[in-house]
Amino acid sequence: MTRSQALSPVLVAVVVAIGCGSGLPAPSEARQAGKPQEASATTQRRESPDSLQVAQAQQAAQPAPGAPAKAGGGSATIKGTVRFSGAAPEREKVKMDADPACQQQHQEPVLTEEVAVNDNNTLRHVFVYVKEGLPGPVPAPTEPVTLDQAGCWYQPHVFGIQVNQPLEIVNSDPTLHNVNAKPAKNPPFNIAQPVKGMKSAKKFAKPEIGVKFKCNVHPWMSAYAGVVEHPYFAVSGEDGSFAIPNLPAGTYVLEAWHERYGTQTQSVTVGEGDTQSIEFSFTGQ
Amino acid sequence: MVARLWSVSTPDRMPFHPRQLPSGILSLTLAVVSWMLALCAGAAAVTGQDRPAPDPEAGRAAYLQHCARCHGAAGQGDGLDAKRFYPRPRDLTLGVYKFRSTASGTPPTDEDLFRTITQGLPGTNMPDWKHLNDATRWRLVDYLKSLAPTFADTEPSPVTLERDPGPQRADLAKGKAVYEQLGCAACHGAAGRANGTSAAGLVDDWGLPIRPADLTHGWAYRGGQQPQDILMRLWTGIDGAGMPSYAEAVSPSDAWQLAYYVASLQEPPHWNLIAHALVVAGDLPTAADDPRWASAERTDVRVRNVVTPEGEWRHPPTVRAVSFKAIANDEAVALLISWHDPTQDAQAPADRLALVLKPAGLAGDVVSLQAWPSRGAPPLDLCHWSAATGQAREQVVPAFERLEPASGAPLASRATYDDGAWQLVVQRPLEQAQVGEAGAIAKDGLTAIAFAVWDGGNPEARAVSPWVDLSIRRRGRDTSIFPQSIDLPAGRQENRTVP
Repeated sequence: MTRSQALSPVLVAVVVAIGCGSGLPAPSEARQAGKPQEASATTQRRESPDSLQVAQAQQAAQPAPGAPAKAGGGSATIKGTVRFSGAAPEREKVKMDADPACQQQHQEPVLTEEVAVNDNNTLRHVFVYVKEGLPGPVPAPTEPVTLDQAGCWYQPHVFGIQVNQPLEIVNSDPTLHNVNAKPAKNPPFNIAQPVKGMKSAKKFAKPEIGVKFKCNVHPWMSAYAGVVEHPYFAVSGEDGSFAIPNLPAGTYVLEAWHERYGTQTQSVTVGEGDTQSIEFSFTGQ
Repeated sequence: MVARLWSVSTPDRMPFHPRQLPSGILSLTLAVVSWMLALCAGAAAVTGQDRPAPDPEAGRAAYLQHCARCHGAAGQGDGLDAKRFYPRPRDLTLGVYKFRSTASGTPPTDEDLFRTITQGLPGTNMPDWKHLNDATRWRLVDYLKSLAPTFADTEPSPVTLERDPGPQRADLAKGKAVYEQLGCAACHGAAGRANGTSAAGLVDDWGLPIRPADLTHGWAYRGGQQPQDILMRLWTGIDGAGMPSYAEAVSPSDAWQLAYYVASLQEPPHWNLIAHALVVAGDLPTAADDPRWASAERTDVRVRNVVTPEGEWRHPPTVRAVSFKAIANDEAVALLISWHDPTQDAQAPADRLALVLKPAGLAGDVVSLQAWPSRGAPPLDLCHWSAATGQAREQVVPAFERLEPASGAPLASRATYDDGAWQLVVQRPLEQAQVGEAGAIAKDGLTAIAFAVWDGGNPEARAVSPWVDLSIRRRGRDTSIFPQSIDLPAGRQENRTVP
């Protein structure tokens, strides 16, 4: 079969799907709305095809991975919104026809997540964390953060994890994935997960923002981790909001990191029991 | 033929004459000796007993003399020749090494570096450096380590392999099942021909296009083609490339079965300098399934991408070798030509192949297809087959670009494509009367031929072979022409690393 022949059913499917404008939402569009402060693995799960339910059930029993821990903290909260202005690159449809096991899991086109601008002109997938102002590192929880590969898509796309906190990497797909992590300050690794249900445990010993994960078999897959020494971080969600609760009172430098648009910082002072609101604003080129 | 080539040089060195021993003892002895030699070859090359005291200045001088041309004066993989190559020379300042005995993400051991320098990387432009003495190679190891901070920051983490069950316990059916279970085919293809569905989209960690290994080409396995080498790649991964570590993904016993299975996919190449046609009376074969092909000698030739100003690395080669057999009668010759091409492309740009005849009267490698057409070069006689038309035609043209699918004399041909491999049978009259200026294939003698191959799925890459002599002999095989006295042309030396 020639390449163009192989592509034609895919094209037909895409055209039909666009024409209907209905069906299951794409994974990046299908996240459960709301709960911005829990922009974590649990809330960012998409509504699951059957193949994902096992992994999801396992996760449901755990606290939201990547969410700030309650123990040992204060009662201050910094919350806010990541605004976006200017021109955003169009989110492209991901071609998964190289692997039928991926393609079959999606009825609707899947869009790239690199620049995901929400309807309210806010920016999703921004990692916000306390960069300066804390007295020292906070011990890592023993609960793992889960990075799932489901529908040939990393879930979540951006997540936070503490130094030396277990990272559980799960393959929920009936196909080969390789997890190729390219940190700069921590040791890199590239491991195979050929079988559905496989789990691998990893840790990062040093703080590092924007640790990239990719899959060579499915080059459209990418995820980023923010590795920090404390639990005070969040990821902007579907309304662009984030919240970092349980902070001790103090003056902090917060940094917002985005895979395409880089970093921004600002200083915030918050008192015990108070909630401070801030805004970050990224501009498309 | 390769065995023959070797055998002409071995009798002098043989310590005893084979006929002195009964054959059973002989074969047992040979098996034990070759097993011990295989063990020693791996170990002896890398022991550090003769390692000299570090001498940074001497290491740097040796590096600049021998390595900088490709790897760059500062080791950044940007030497004079770097751009032309695929795979590109390593950026040594990153400390990311492909062929290690250490866990994914950790630096190689000193012995790993010493081994790579000593043995080179088959299938790449990295030659072996056996001619440098041990001290120099150890100083190069020290110097390479000084280029990348990772060696100071991170300890190598050597992996341990389970004991080799040995070939007697190899279960190829089990190995095949493991191959399928682990998803090897996603990149390497179901039959190992580098035609997996993900093969075309692979990039390395620096975003440059990269191709998976064709597992049937054992001669191009960078890190060695023995089962233990294959297992080591499986366990450590190939850092910087897409190949991940399977150390946590498969049991050691299954991994050994997989390693033996992958080794079994290797097709021993026949790098003949002279390709002998089988001479028959009567009709010539018209299809690949003609039983007479089984009696014909197989010859393999490497093909290399024609160098473009951009360099080979941007369009990594997908066709690496062509193998062929020839059967001749009084009027014509039939060739069975097969080559691996990851995609079947019948629409433009289509898969194509040309059998090229060297014009009579040109000696040596004067007209290299790599450089053709150079100034003053003669036009060439091409039997050109295209998947677009499904036909072969013969034309004499001054440049490849002047080939026209619909013109020239039609030739009888038949092609089939199966799982990453083309098989083409084409017949050509020895004397081609229909094409003006056409070359002739010697009815009783040698004719220099070569191949040009286009992969329509990789249209920027045109691969060409060196010349090889097609021999048609009417009165039995004339053994006096075997190449005791013929020097291998430069560039084919690496092809001799055949067991």
